[in-house]
Amino acid sequence: MRPYQVATAAAIVLIAAVAMFDSRAAFSPSAGTSPGDVGSRWYPFWAATIMGIAAVIVAYRVLTTLQPVEGAFEGRRSVFAVLKIAVPMLAYAVLIGGIGFRTTDFTYRIVPAFGFYLATALYMGLFAWWLGRYKIWWVAAIAVAFPIVIFGVFELGFRVALPKSFLYTSGILPF
Amino acid sequence: MEVFGQLAGGFATALQPINVAMLFVAVVLGLVIGVLPGLGGTSGVAILLPITVFIAHGSLPGSDATTAIIFLAGIYWGALFGGVITSILFNIPGEPWAVVLLFDGFPLAKRLGKPGLALSSSFVSSFLGALVSTILFTFFALPIALKALEFGPAELFAVFVLSFATLIGLGAEAPMKSVAMLALGLLLAAVGFDTVTGEQRLNFGQTALLSGISFVPVTIGLFGIGEILASAEEQGIGFVENISAKLGLRDVVEALRELRKRLRLVLSNAIIGFFFGVLPGHGATAASFLGYGLARQYSKNKENFGKGEISGIMGPQAAADAAGVASLVPMITLGIPGSPTSAVIMAGLFIWGLQPGPVLFIQHPDFVWGLIASIYLGHLLTFILCLLAVPLLAMIMRVPYAIITPFIVVISIIGSYSLNNSMLDVFITVLFGLIGYWLRKMKYPLAPLVVALVLGDSTERELRKALIAGHGSPLYFFNSGLSTVLILFAVVLVAIPLIRTIRARRRGAAPPPAPAHS
Repeated sequence: MRPYQVATAAAIVLIAAVAMFDSRAAFSPSAGTSPGDVGSRWYPFWAATIMGIAAVIVAYRVLTTLQPVEGAFEGRRSVFAVLKIAVPMLAYAVLIGGIGFRTTDFTYRIVPAFGFYLATALYMGLFAWWLGRYKIWWVAAIAVAFPIVIFGVFELGFRVALPKSFLYTSGILPF
Repeated sequence: MEVFGQLAGGFATALQPINVAMLFVAVVLGLVIGVLPGLGGTSGVAILLPITVFIAHGSLPGSDATTAIIFLAGIYWGALFGGVITSILFNIPGEPWAVVLLFDGFPLAKRLGKPGLALSSSFVSSFLGALVSTILFTFFALPIALKALEFGPAELFAVFVLSFATLIGLGAEAPMKSVAMLALGLLLAAVGFDTVTGEQRLNFGQTALLSGISFVPVTIGLFGIGEILASAEEQGIGFVENISAKLGLRDVVEALRELRKRLRLVLSNAIIGFFFGVLPGHGATAASFLGYGLARQYSKNKENFGKGEISGIMGPQAAADAAGVASLVPMITLGIPGSPTSAVIMAGLFIWGLQPGPVLFIQHPDFVWGLIASIYLGHLLTFILCLLAVPLLAMIMRVPYAIITPFIVVISIIGSYSLNNSMLDVFITVLFGLIGYWLRKMKYPLAPLVVALVLGDSTERELRKALIAGHGSPLYFFNSGLSTVLILFAVVLVAIPLIRTIRARRRGAAPPPAPAHS
């Protein structure tokens, strides 16, 4: 557990250092708009400083006291169990908006925006097929039913406009 | 008395058809959330928070901000009760505050073969605990709020400092980890425009960060996605010890008989739970363990604890539910959340355009008293639903993992996106889900992070207002007796872990220095 604890504390120290650097104007004599005001950088600077010091103390305690021998995960199985959820979730979030980049004149799309409903159909279907090992018609039913129910509840019921797909912009699908 | 008149008005508001309907929906949702091991009360409230924006703005006929708060609070009440069902029947805590029920709730259900008695004992003590706490809430809230109206920036800043100190001094995790999380929360709250000078800070040239990091996607990530990842790791340990979940009238009568024998324990634990719950950062979970400890300490049958002792169910449940209700008291009266869940509810108030704190009692009495009345109704409704629908709720545990897990992720994504129609918020949710999972694994407490994120802006504002008023002198904080006492009390609270460490070292209990490699 020790290397993981130290790495976590180091990451916190790094965040603190970046924030302290950004707030280095805290000690500028012109800080603040009125007499007595400490300015906009003072508060984040000291918050970052306290955070950094606390993380250093945590790391020191971890290095100088007994720590559990086992690692952060209980074997490969537990790592894969987390990755099975985390990786499709990241892919799902990326698929909703698509991948691309923008110049001053154009927006280039590497992966088109699948929008919320198409991405949800793929995501729910993937889980039903992969982890649930359902038969293909059940997978299809789950992939179709969930987006439709969500469309009914959120889009029609609560009037929440969720991101639409490239098929919506070309007029093929209603979402 | 004025309170009774106000409460009657509150009941008139809470009993409006739309409010009753939304309370019913919320309680059912809360029970389901409580039963599901991958979803907690805080994450449930956070995920559904964006929907309340539409409720508060009248998307439903007759709905307003009071309907929205009744809805959010109702989810919390449902989750408070729902978490116990899986602890008792499946030996899997649906909520952190139900962990303590594994000690005696599950043994009573499994070993002694009395699941109905275990469940009904838990429900009746929860209901009584919540009722006592709500009565105290009713009578304490207004005087606290009226007193708080006299607070200036120095006193308000001192109150914030005290709430942070409570999180550090009385937290269960290593105090330095709490300090780091608290400071991280304050730092995240500082991202974007400075509210006093309008200057940009910590946005690193990104215009998307100018409006700051929204509280809701962070909380949904930390609690919703974080819990999903944590439960993914633990999957496969549950569903082994499955007990039939039937609850009859005979069980309820027997539980009431047992309650009569333990009335003093339940009432005292409820009162202690109330005052414990008022302390910022300590919701139902800490109170449940305190309640269990007290029940065991003062029991004549100490040897029965851990083997299905009913006091080991009733004691913690009364304290946990009382603390859950009480955690709303500082949020409503002072604008300080008493627990992560009340921090999310408080964020809701900001989003609906309301300012939590004493002014709420003056400007929106219907809202405050409607909420208080709804706590009575919400608990009564939850209690009845629990008695009637235990078999149905237990069936939720059988919803396949391959469906429920992605569904929670989908709902979390909707929740984070719909608040500002922003894909950035979706990525913030996913990112903080991963961060929250890892921090939890490394035993960093998340409550200080969430509370500091909500209170960060207000803390900085009051600090700077006080410094401007005092021409930059920190001695201004000690001009008022109240702020002096609060700051000194905060210092004492922060010193508690230090004193504890020194005493442990003197006793020789401190762990020896570690070898070069563990």
